[in-house]
Amino acid sequence: MYKNKKKGIFGIILTIIILICIVVVTNTDVAKMSYLENVVSTIVMPIQNGLTYLKNKIAGNDSFFQNIDNLQKENEELKAKNSKLEQDLREFEIIKSENETLKEYVNLKDKYQDYESLPAYVINKDIGNYSNTVVINVGKKDGIQENMTVIADEGLVGHVISVTDTTAKVQTIVDTATAVTSTISTTKDTIIVQGTLDDRTLLKATYIPTDASILQGDSVETSGIGGIYPKGIHIGTIKDIYSTKNITDRYATVEPAVDFSKLATVLVITKHN
Amino acid sequence: MKKVVAIICLLIAFLVVYFLQADFFSWFTIAGIKPNLFVIFILFIGLFAGKKIGIILGLILGTYIDLLLGRTVGITGIMLAIVGFLGEYFDKNFSKESRLTIMLMVIGATFLYEIITYIYYIFRLEINLEIYSFLKILSIEALYNTIIVIIIYPMLQKAGYALENIFKVKNILTRYF
Repeated sequence: MYKNKKKGIFGIILTIIILICIVVVTNTDVAKMSYLENVVSTIVMPIQNGLTYLKNKIAGNDSFFQNIDNLQKENEELKAKNSKLEQDLREFEIIKSENETLKEYVNLKDKYQDYESLPAYVINKDIGNYSNTVVINVGKKDGIQENMTVIADEGLVGHVISVTDTTAKVQTIVDTATAVTSTISTTKDTIIVQGTLDDRTLLKATYIPTDASILQGDSVETSGIGGIYPKGIHIGTIKDIYSTKNITDRYATVEPAVDFSKLATVLVITKHN
Repeated sequence: MKKVVAIICLLIAFLVVYFLQADFFSWFTIAGIKPNLFVIFILFIGLFAGKKIGIILGLILGTYIDLLLGRTVGITGIMLAIVGFLGEYFDKNFSKESRLTIMLMVIGATFLYEIITYIYYIFRLEINLEIYSFLKILSIEALYNTIIVIIIYPMLQKAGYALENIFKVKNILTRYF
């Protein structure tokens, strides 16, 4: 009785496994099953070839095998060509990426030609959840000093907080410890833009003057007040405005122009008028 | 000699943890929140190798992290040293055989580390107090740390007992037998 029961369970399990295999195989893309195709064809093809040879001999036609030889040669040539093309494509991708980086540098230089600047790469990003700093590959040896402004193609990144001989630590504007005095480009009202823990991809604009009329999409740029950031560097755009009971407490969120998750190349302003 | 090899292994493990935290977990996040592998690492050292190693490594490695990426130097070192000390305290008072107690230890250490660090930043860097956002991040971070501990617990235990044999074995005094 026990044996039968055991056999029964084994059968059910085996059936389920077979069923699952069938379901998986029938739902899998044929292209992904090429290895199975290979196994099957390895077993079947010699027999198939033998039978076809016999058939052709009987019919007095053996040109089929000559065609196979030609096809095999052609296939090998095409494979070699394909691998060469793939290699070329990889080289092209590398050149393309280098070209994009250089273009970024040129764009940055053109855009901020009033400032003397130095290009740099981001080599390290913050590992914590409560701060947002990056490390760049230029330092004291390149003339970098504390409190220098760092920008990217799209706008303001932050400022240098410490320097070693070969690297510099940059506190970004989305860091909770950063506060930038800014102006709304349309109305010229002065506001304070700060990083926030709530959404680390957005900035919070506070101290909005009571008579200021700000609108969604208004551009925000540095005011030049405070001594760190030069005037007129784009920070971002107003995303949402939050009204409170007390108008002095109203605030807005600013979407930074720079995508800090993809930040790779920056420019350090070494001198500005 | 064994101790030197163990410490070299711990330093190599720290580098692995550092690169995991800096690269892999910078995109493998829960709602944009990263875990804190350093807390798990130092707590594990304190728990198995004792407070002396825990405090020293916590202090050195924390200071290294601060020098590399921190906005101020010292707080990470001090807090990781406290976590290292906490490891031995937990070891004396709770069982590390159970997965549940290890999970609770990690939650406790993460809360302690992050709350004190955040309070320090509020006073030192004059950042705004955002209690709701902070608690949200802290809860997710503690949860993430716990999940990681659940996954790596068997490996942690094996490596931990190997460390314990090296650093704590002399505490068993044969003269009592």
